[in-house]
Amino acid sequence: MENILQINNLHKYFGELEVLKGIDLSVSKGEIISVIGSSGSGKSTLLRCINFLETPNNGEIIFKGKNYVTNQNDLQELRKRISMVFQSFNLFNNLSVINNLCLTPVKVLKKEKKETFVKALEVLDLVGMKDFAYKSTKLLSGGQKQRVAIARSLMMDPEIILFDEPTSALDPEMVGEVLDVMKDLAKTGITMLIVTHEMQFAKEISNRVIFMHEGIVHESGLPSEILNNPKEERTKLFLKRFL
Amino acid sequence: MLKFVKRVLVFIIAFGIIIAIQSRDDIYASEVNTDNETIMEAIEELRFYSSYNYQTLTEDKLSQLIVDFYLPVRYGDVLIDWQLESEYVELGTETETIEINSITGYVEVEVLKVTILEVPSVFKGDQVFELLASFEYLDESVEYSYFGTLVPQISADFLGGATYTLIRYFSLFVEGALLTIGISLVGTVIGFVLALFIVTGKTLNIKDFESKASKITKQVIKKVSSLYVIIFRGTPMIVQASFFWFGLGLFGNALLCGLFVVSLNTAAYIAEIIRGGIQSVDSGQTEASKSLGMTGSQTMRYIIFPQAIKNSLPAIGNEFVINIKDTAVLSVIGIFELFNQTRKIAGMHYRQLEAYLIVALIYLFLTYTVSSILRQVEKRLDMPLKELPSSN
Ligand SMILES: Nc1ncnc2c1ncn2[C@@H]1O[C@H](COP(=O)(O)OP(=O)(O)O)[C@@H](O)[C@H]1O
Ligand SMILES: [Mg+2]
Repeated sequence: MENILQINNLHKYFGELEVLKGIDLSVSKGEIISVIGSSGSGKSTLLRCINFLETPNNGEIIFKGKNYVTNQNDLQELRKRISMVFQSFNLFNNLSVINNLCLTPVKVLKKEKKETFVKALEVLDLVGMKDFAYKSTKLLSGGQKQRVAIARSLMMDPEIILFDEPTSALDPEMVGEVLDVMKDLAKTGITMLIVTHEMQFAKEISNRVIFMHEGIVHESGLPSEILNNPKEERTKLFLKRFL
Repeated sequence: MLKFVKRVLVFIIAFGIIIAIQSRDDIYASEVNTDNETIMEAIEELRFYSSYNYQTLTEDKLSQLIVDFYLPVRYGDVLIDWQLESEYVELGTETETIEINSITGYVEVEVLKVTILEVPSVFKGDQVFELLASFEYLDESVEYSYFGTLVPQISADFLGGATYTLIRYFSLFVEGALLTIGISLVGTVIGFVLALFIVTGKTLNIKDFESKASKITKQVIKKVSSLYVIIFRGTPMIVQASFFWFGLGLFGNALLCGLFVVSLNTAAYIAEIIRGGIQSVDSGQTEASKSLGMTGSQTMRYIIFPQAIKNSLPAIGNEFVINIKDTAVLSVIGIFELFNQTRKIAGMHYRQLEAYLIVALIYLFLTYTVSSILRQVEKRLDMPLKELPSSN
């Protein structure tokens, strides 16, 4: 499989605190990777470094052959093609649902307005939110917000979508609707990097699972291996909590 | 030549009218003299006391009549025939002789007394009447028409005084209030627009990989914007107004200068309000925007600013209300906004208590009304978006 994202020896400090201690990760096109690990292990930081919401201190982030750590002038180019879905949705509160979807394709990708609008309705239909197109985002439930957020990132036709605990802020009864959307998405062949605590979901959806511990990739492999028969003690300890 | 003499004579007669205001002891007039050489002197010297000051008698002095007064019956050899029709004043029929304290001592003058029958009420307003003087001079008959204005009298008690002040000077209060509202509103709007620039300058983002020139330019803009806010928030508006008007004579027009000062002052405050509004927009939206490839300025323009402005609207509206009160300091540079009008009004009758109480109530009315209107507008804005029909 074609390698789309290559991370080499990635280090990130917050002041004195070393949060990422040399991450190596290679992502193939179309791969779906779940990232698990206890809170504070650096999962979010890793994702945020990939689209430079945090600036890495050291290492390489190579997307399609270009190392953006040394080419930070071209960040926009990277961000156009790698979208992110956040735990707290982060919808644009001043815009209606449809405008949340249309803003960035028009302003960033310079897409034509009408065409974007038509596409937005299609994408909203995909995530089951078409009826809410003209509503204010304030009127939506958490699950609906997250589905809109996913739709918004899809509007950019990204090559990779980064999900940072997309269901952690949701009431339990809304988790399913978001996971279903993600499962549908997985079938389209898009590359996904998902930080999650939904082990069953991870098992179903992923090609690979990564266990992070204290800023390094502690163990990685097929979902069945990692989630059912982990080799490392740390991984076992962590997974016990989800039994 | 004849025309000139006639005109002079008319003047003399006009000035010859003696008005006793408040105290007859105050009457002061020059000696009557028909000698042509001294006519001009007489005109210049013929003076009287009003209740406040010492002035030459001219036509407009008759516009403040509040007590009985006297008309001269003769000027030298010339007999003057007076006529007067009015329900408010009455011309006496019998001549009498009164003593006037002039520069050359007391002189006796033959006069007709004009009695004020009724002081018009403040509700009726000023009453104008016509005085007709006719006389023979150098075989010519001369007629001269003269207008007097009876003004309502202010009563001594508080309520009467307040009613009088309010009714008599209503239009002045309204003028002042309109100017105050106008300056405050325009000043707030201009201030708001300026604030957008200032806050943009203050919140410029300097990135690591920018060119040196761009970094320095941004630094300078940031510093200047900050300094602007510090200066205008850190000095009293009365000092700013005096500096720009008395110091620099800006625009050569006090009103424009005052508007300028209010706008600049408001801009500094609104800039800080909007900056607070920007900080109150949660950073998640900025991150989402950036992660979708929007530049910093696009994020600011399409996401942060609209929300910051909306969040700031109540505080910005409050700036308008504050301006309604604070523009009173513009009186110092001679703008007749509400407070300065009131000072003028209070000065006319020395009824300070009434005038300032009235203006306090007017200010209260203005600020309360504007606040209520703004609250209504806020409520409207806060309502959830109207449900539009969905596309299917
Ligand atoms: N902006 C920040 N400033 C300082 N410390 C941070 C910041 N973001 C995260 N950290 C710290 O980095 C560590 C890893 O955080 P994070 O990547 O969010 O972990 P995870 O997502 O796995 O729970 C934690 O100890 C956290 O406190
Ligand atoms: Mg996290």
